[in-house]
Amino acid sequence: MLTYTYDQRIISIQEKANEADIEFQIELLGDNKLDAKLKDIQHEFEENAVLTDVLFYVYPNHKYHIIVRQDFYNDFILALMKHRLLLRVEWK
Amino acid sequence: MEHQAIWAIGIFLIIYALIISEKIHRTILAMLGAIVMVVLGIVNQETALEHIDFNTLGLLVGMMIIVGITAETGLFKYVALKAAKSAKGKPTRIMIALMLITAVASAFLDNVTTVLLMVPVTFSITRQLRINPIPFLITQIMASNVGGTATLIGDPPNIMIGSAVKELTFMAFINNLTPIIIIIVLAYIPLFIMIFGKQIQSKPEFQQSIMEMDEKAMITDQKLLNKCLFVLGLTIVGFFLHQTLHLESATVALSGAFLLLLLTGEPMLEKAFHSVEWITIFFFIGLFVLVAGLVETGVITKLAEKAIELTGGDLLTTSMLILWLSAITSAFLDNIPFVATMIPLIQDMGTMGVSNLEPLWWSLALGACLGGNGTLIGASANLIVAGLAGKEGYPITFVKYLKYGFPLMILSIVLSSIYIYLRYLM
Repeated sequence: MLTYTYDQRIISIQEKANEADIEFQIELLGDNKLDAKLKDIQHEFEENAVLTDVLFYVYPNHKYHIIVRQDFYNDFILALMKHRLLLRVEWK
Repeated sequence: MEHQAIWAIGIFLIIYALIISEKIHRTILAMLGAIVMVVLGIVNQETALEHIDFNTLGLLVGMMIIVGITAETGLFKYVALKAAKSAKGKPTRIMIALMLITAVASAFLDNVTTVLLMVPVTFSITRQLRINPIPFLITQIMASNVGGTATLIGDPPNIMIGSAVKELTFMAFINNLTPIIIIIVLAYIPLFIMIFGKQIQSKPEFQQSIMEMDEKAMITDQKLLNKCLFVLGLTIVGFFLHQTLHLESATVALSGAFLLLLLTGEPMLEKAFHSVEWITIFFFIGLFVLVAGLVETGVITKLAEKAIELTGGDLLTTSMLILWLSAITSAFLDNIPFVATMIPLIQDMGTMGVSNLEPLWWSLALGACLGGNGTLIGASANLIVAGLAGKEGYPITFVKYLKYGFPLMILSIVLSSIYIYLRYLM
């Protein structure tokens, strides 16, 4: 299983299972650059051939609801890591 | 019958049969058939080129470029989310709102492009509401085919008819087809609610989460969007005025496309030309030459004579025959080759004494476009949506679609028959 840690001063991440999906509530507490990073991740998942892998819902005040299909959980976590929104990712 | 006419019929029928079998791509077949027509001398190269309708091709290329660039801006996601919020997050209302957006968009854009833009947004909204997306997708398929019938630029059969018959302008299509399309859409809405309403119930908290979303975040490039909206608006005004301006519809579409490319600059050029479906363009080229073989050898004239013999030249019988034959044929076969064959046939009927061809053209347009709703293989948009849905774990089978599509298609043709009779033949 993939676990992760992040800087709680700049980002808040909550996740819960919902049917066949994992739902994330992400709030960005830092500057707008973090929003740009999350937008890049959104763009990457929207550009690929799978429509329902990771779905992004944008709310005011830098809040995001993200529905991730279970089979794309690792891809999503690794994308967060790639864009430096996480500090550490490891298999446990 | 002349030797060459028999060859032309043979080549046409073999290519048609192979297109139906779907073993080889239709564009390869159409182009090969066209090349054989030229190689065998049934039509020479010069005549073949004369039969390629560059107005149809120019219109398609121009609109594909404009839509391809506009899709980059997130406009469609914005409109869909705005509609979902206006519907207060209620699934049935959202389904109807998205269906109406699809119908209106399809009237001005290519149907396949429209559904390709709508399907991802639909999956996104239905996943958030935790409901089955299939009712949304089926209503959008049907709306794309119905909406596409409303204007000259909405569906390839209309583009081909409008291009072949100079009197049928953009405004003529709107004046004659849009009223019946509005009637059909209004007839479909309560039926869709009745058929699908109970299947798409969602919890209030999910509906609330739609209401709280920020639709402005959907726009990815505001500057580009402004340029696209300016050019799109200008192009649509151009279509409305093309007769007054003495411009072909292709000139209007290509002017819009290249004005937009001028405004967006070179970086967008490559992307814009990638959004042109060259495979479809070459399919048209092949078909125009194939049909040229039938026209030049007198086969179409003979068919027109037989059709007039069969109907006795009676306008009502001929209109109804064209309407229903086009609808049933288009439900199972590609409507583009069918319309390509029917256009010269109807034109020949005009030279044989049928004085008022107008109801025949509208019957052909309505039958060929609306017929596509009959089955899953009736139109490209249907197959594209079913393919995407299947890949995402929501299969729309031939039979499942047929159950809804065929009766609703028949209803639209019954309404069209009444409309044609009351407006043109009474």
